[in-house]
Amino acid sequence: MKKIFLIILSLALFTACERKISEYTVSKGNADFTKFITVGNSLIAGYADGALYHNGQRYSIPNIMAGQLQLAGSGAFVQPVVNSEYGVQFPGSGPKFKLGPKTDCTGATSLGPVPDLGTKEALAPVGYTVNNFGIPGAKSFHLLFPGYGLLNPYYSRFASNPQTSKVVDDIVAANGTFFALWLGDNDVLAYALAGGAADSITSPAFFQTAMGGVLQALTANGAKGVIATIPDVTVIPFFTTVPYNGLVLTRQSLVDSINNAMVNVYQVTLSQPYKVGQNPFLVFDATSSNPYKVRMMQPGELVLLTVPQDSLKCAGMGIISSSKHIPYPIPTQYVLTADEVTALQAATAAYNEIIKTGLAPMFNLAVVDMNQKLKSLETGITWNGISLSTTFVTGGLFSLDGIHLNPRGNAIAANFFIEAINQKFGSTIPEADITKYPGVIFP
Amino acid sequence: MRKFIFLLLFTWVTAMATFAGGYQVGLHSIRNIGMGLIGTSLTYDASSLFYNPGASPFVNEKFSISGGVTFLMSRATFQAKNEVYQEHVNHVMNYPFYFYASYKPIKDLCIGIAVNTPYGLSMSWPDTWEGRYLIQNVTFKSITIQPTVAYKIKDIIGIGAGLIISYGDVNLKRAIPLNGPDSTDGQLTVKGSTIKYGFNAGILVHPVKGLNIGIDYRSRINMSIKDGDATFAVPTSLASNFTYNKVDVSLPLPANLDLGISYEINEKIMIGLDLNYVFWSTYDSLKFTFKSPDASIPNLISTGAKLYKDRLITRLGVQWKVNGLLTVRAGGYYDPSPVPTDYLDPMLPSSDETALTCGFSLYPFKRFSIDASFEYLMGKKRSGISSPNDTPAGSHNFEGTYSTAFYMPGIGLTYNF
Repeated sequence: MKKIFLIILSLALFTACERKISEYTVSKGNADFTKFITVGNSLIAGYADGALYHNGQRYSIPNIMAGQLQLAGSGAFVQPVVNSEYGVQFPGSGPKFKLGPKTDCTGATSLGPVPDLGTKEALAPVGYTVNNFGIPGAKSFHLLFPGYGLLNPYYSRFASNPQTSKVVDDIVAANGTFFALWLGDNDVLAYALAGGAADSITSPAFFQTAMGGVLQALTANGAKGVIATIPDVTVIPFFTTVPYNGLVLTRQSLVDSINNAMVNVYQVTLSQPYKVGQNPFLVFDATSSNPYKVRMMQPGELVLLTVPQDSLKCAGMGIISSSKHIPYPIPTQYVLTADEVTALQAATAAYNEIIKTGLAPMFNLAVVDMNQKLKSLETGITWNGISLSTTFVTGGLFSLDGIHLNPRGNAIAANFFIEAINQKFGSTIPEADITKYPGVIFP
Repeated sequence: MRKFIFLLLFTWVTAMATFAGGYQVGLHSIRNIGMGLIGTSLTYDASSLFYNPGASPFVNEKFSISGGVTFLMSRATFQAKNEVYQEHVNHVMNYPFYFYASYKPIKDLCIGIAVNTPYGLSMSWPDTWEGRYLIQNVTFKSITIQPTVAYKIKDIIGIGAGLIISYGDVNLKRAIPLNGPDSTDGQLTVKGSTIKYGFNAGILVHPVKGLNIGIDYRSRINMSIKDGDATFAVPTSLASNFTYNKVDVSLPLPANLDLGISYEINEKIMIGLDLNYVFWSTYDSLKFTFKSPDASIPNLISTGAKLYKDRLITRLGVQWKVNGLLTVRAGGYYDPSPVPTDYLDPMLPSSDETALTCGFSLYPFKRFSIDASFEYLMGKKRSGISSPNDTPAGSHNFEGTYSTAFYMPGIGLTYNF
């Protein structure tokens, strides 16, 4: 009996054990992650939902990366912390967005981005040095401006001297041993966000010079780093959510009268007759021969997310004004025409060529082709049971401004950076668990 | 929005397809467990009703009653690829049981009833684990009742057949990647049960003294659940998109063809070999049909990929009657995974399995035994992706390494009289 008891006891001990699998081995390869610094614009700052706010910043790409790099000996990662969940207050700062019910001019209520109002943080210097030099709004060459803090409130929060200092000088002083650089989006994006009606595209030559200057500063002490390419406008939901042919007509009688009015009354040359179903919006075009200077949008042309939806739905914007009964084109600041898209894409391609074949080899950098990575997400992927795509809101990657990623998107971008670092420097930095980071928050 | 919901469910269903791979529980008699789960050619007690109805008339005594329970403990560990993340399953105990009773009104005729749990699965990962959007926990339980009749001719050949009445019960829980306020996940639960039928038929041949050859076929059972309960807990603003509250689940259980041969070398020692062929390849794809009470909302149908290959399980067992009081047994088997290479899912991380078993019977009285067994089933460490073929290029769907094991002590009673 005693023997049986012993057998049962040993079996019980045996079964208490967990199955063993050797754990992941972290190594830093031939890079030194002791002091990790990051440089860039809003994408690096942790800007999301139209604002730089506390939680967005907590889930910034650099902060997620730093958490993983700390497993390979990286030190504390300091961000210029915003304490408010609603952003930083300064003249011209817009609201943060949340998802909420929105009633449109037709009385229909649907879920969409609505202002998330609350007390913003007063603009003031944080009073400490930082590791994250992500500056919303910064273009490549802005980092070389003395006194850039006077122009950009976000830089003034952590500039060594907001009146005089240059970002590059602060970078040199930070003396990082490893860096991540994702800069240059605004060199095309600022123009794109203005619908091509304001701002300008930085010339590739100037971009190269500016980025070279930034990289000189980053590598002055021999630091290694990773650089990311610039996403094409056509992968960003801000430009892809409202289709060029979003004018939906349902009645044949209406279609007939519009066709008649356009051709015979307004003398507009139609690239295709109106039909029941989806039709291209009208846009302003100074080169058009008709008296109203309008034309139909063409495939490949983009409508911005900020286009006034109520005007499209109820006031006749994009077709015929319901009050004035004349053609009512979408104003040019809400549209990227074919020429503008071509110019943006050409510049983006040129920048990315400079990054991949010029700067990266010159400064011995790892490259993460974020443009290509985001493009591959367009049609959707599955990541640990989560379906993700670049579609606005339901795609689960972008935040409610349609430009910046949400925390889950940031975790994926951080993993893309880590993948590139591991490949280049022979390290084995573990990737982040993306399921720990929330997607879009639904009410 | 429908496409969006479909995408949410899609990955789960493909994951579900692997659920089938290996939920056959072989734990049907403590004595047989001790011998590597062989049984198709054995004629020692009423467990023949299940293993091979054709063998049941060869049980010597007029009555045979056998019952028992196994304490099934599963252990599994997951290591994510390229991540530090490692996780263990919750320690949940399951209790496959059996009860058999046979009666021979005349020498060559046997009638009997078999009650057991031939299929079942339970896998419970922590609710907040990394694979929660694929599965949190799943239990599938079945209880089968099999009235059986068998006849033998001249102590040489026996044939028998039984009707299988099977009750099945499914319970699944999975998180939905839709975040509400405070970043909480959504939740899907599926519950349902059904009763379905099949048959079990077998032949035993006893050509010479000591030698038995058995063949048995258990039909496939289409465990389709109709109108199970589906509960979607999602953020309030999305609730109107998830009005589905009923679900039909197709859950086919594969057919089995078993061939067994055993030989009594002498009065004391018997050796046996069983080959179990499982018809996984005829296994239909698993299908979920979510239904809304609002008739205007079309059903949401998701079909998983068909994945399986037939597999052949090879079992060996030996029994030694030490004396009138004690019989000891040992055995083992090899069970190759029906799930193709690289296709691995946390629902049931199937792998090639090797089992070692042992057991004994104590006879405090003549013809009455207390039976005990222990089985250790070890899964080969295996790496794979949850659904490598059905997800778009560039996907990153739960790639990692699993290590699994099952520990199964059991106890039973047998009385032949």
